Amino acid sequence: MNQSMLGLVQNETVKLLRRRRFLVVVLILAILIPIFTYAQYRSVMTAQERMGTTDWRPLLTQQIVDMQNRLASSRLPDEWRDLIKVRIQQQQYYLDHDINPMAPGGPTFARGFMDQAITMFLPMIIVVLAVDIVSAEFSEGTIKLLLTRPVRRWKVLTSKYITMVLFTSLTVLMTLFLAYLISGIVFGYSGWNLPILTGFQVEGSELNTAGVFMLPQWQFLLMQYGLGWFVCVVVGTVTFMVSVLVRSAAAGMGIMMAALISGMILTQMASSWEASKYLFIVNLELTDYLNGNLPPITGMTLSFSLTVLTVWAVASLIVAYTAFVRRDVTS
Amino acid sequence: MTDTVLSVKHLHKKMGNKPIIHDITFDVFAGEVFGFLGPNGAGKTTTIRMLVGLAAADGGEIRIGGISIRDQFPKAIAQVGCIVENPELYKFLTGRENLEQFARMSGGIPPERIEEIVRFVDLERAIDDKVKTYSLGMRQRLGIAQALLHNPKILILDEPTNGLDPAGIRELRQFIRRLAEEEGLAVFISSHLLSEIEMMCDRVAIISQGRVISVGLVEELMAQFADQVDWTIDPNFISKGMEILRGLPVVSEVWQINEERLKCKMNVERVSEVNQALVKAGILVSGIATKTVSLEDLFLTLTEGGGADEPKHAGTRAK
Repeated sequence: MNQSMLGLVQNETVKLLRRRRFLVVVLILAILIPIFTYAQYRSVMTAQERMGTTDWRPLLTQQIVDMQNRLASSRLPDEWRDLIKVRIQQQQYYLDHDINPMAPGGPTFARGFMDQAITMFLPMIIVVLAVDIVSAEFSEGTIKLLLTRPVRRWKVLTSKYITMVLFTSLTVLMTLFLAYLISGIVFGYSGWNLPILTGFQVEGSELNTAGVFMLPQWQFLLMQYGLGWFVCVVVGTVTFMVSVLVRSAAAGMGIMMAALISGMILTQMASSWEASKYLFIVNLELTDYLNGNLPPITGMTLSFSLTVLTVWAVASLIVAYTAFVRRDVTS
Repeated sequence: MTDTVLSVKHLHKKMGNKPIIHDITFDVFAGEVFGFLGPNGAGKTTTIRMLVGLAAADGGEIRIGGISIRDQFPKAIAQVGCIVENPELYKFLTGRENLEQFARMSGGIPPERIEEIVRFVDLERAIDDKVKTYSLGMRQRLGIAQALLHNPKILILDEPTNGLDPAGIRELRQFIRRLAEEEGLAVFISSHLLSEIEMMCDRVAIISQGRVISVGLVEELMAQFADQVDWTIDPNFISKGMEILRGLPVVSEVWQINEERLKCKMNVERVSEVNQALVKAGILVSGIATKTVSLEDLFLTLTEGGGADEPKHAGTRAK
């Protein structure tokens, strides 16, 4: 990045901060995460009540014994056998290291939070951040000052895009940080090394568990937040295009919200409409692939979803640049 | 006035399939205030948008300091300072932060230059307040500050007096004259108010419906349509009266309207002199009507295609 681009990004950063966009995002996170923490706390309490005991060790021992009995049964298919073996190892780890799997620590909460937030909550926050990054210049008329400087238009747009990606990354980091910090007050701050099962593979409509292995939670979190970051950048890029094409922030917000919500609805009923898997909005739930949940439509894999998202992002950028560079600025 | 700062040649622009700018050509020189005059909807703002690179031309050429704005946009536009329509600045930033934004975009502008320009537009006290607290006049001055920040060769202002009170207009006028005369800047001003151009500009291009109707010195154009005096005299003396009027050095042109009316171009302040000459020759003058032709009349004549011999009545204001 050369000197002039650095200055342009600095300009955009000043504007974004002074428009209080990032402040809004941090406030949303700071208000909602305690609410989710409390909800999680309540559900842990209810689970314990139902169990009738607060002592989780005998419960876990019983589960391990059950699974060992199932292993002994000869009619079990091989893949299941492998999965159960790994599960037993995991439970044994909890027992050995005196970790209550029912009462998660800060890292576990952060993991659960990303699972829930990746389809709707985080994309919405990114939309708030990115929706008027270009359109505000048009609606406020400042675009006339911005484009009558000795800087080519594509550079102006690039500086805005870099700033958007920068703050998207900050938002994802901030989510991890706040989720860990706030939930830790209730659940404690340990659990970075908790073993998490991953390595599931989807083949057709079947889940292949042959390759399942354990990963320390911190590594799992890194992968998970990496995927979350990618989803946010893609949603940010699409929002960026909308911001170039639509002058009003309210309209842009409406378009993106409608898209995200239809994505939610589609993933729940799309299994019969296969072509919908090429829409970016049904491919946002990337963490499901890590957790071994079946995808909404057969044929979707992690690499498939990553490809679809990348194609959408690239197409959005092409449209955004073409429109921005070519368009005449009228009042 | 030989240094051409802005050169526009055969500019065309279409909106959809409809041509809205037809073959606009003019030059602006260093140190002059150039007026761009036309009614609303004549294509002034469209032309200005093309001059500053906000819109692309469909034909023709714009050169600033000899550099084509299409081929070398950054280099060409670096010599331009402009306010297109209202000075819209970042309201959520302070005046200084606004200027810093533009300084970073232009590059190579030291902090002292910001101080200097703030002093120049007399905004020292308010420069660290947010722009949303500024009055319109202050915004205008900050707008001029951002336009002059990078030492441009030409200042382009689109309807700069819109929304200003009379005192603000007077201030702006003096300011613009000072820039042209002392700093040697070329200033390009669009306006639909003829009086404004008459008071501020050295030369003027008059445009209507996307065409340049006339380009020239404001004085010359005024002289071409000098004041007129309408004489009503005894029909018997009409040819003699014409003869006498033609013989006077004050009168530049004489023509007959009907059997008892003559019209001539002359300075209205010397009517009594001419009247005396007619009376001395024994011609009975029964009526004298003087008419001062303003640029507005000229404008109406040119744009409505009226004959030069019979300018439309003054008093109707072009808008």
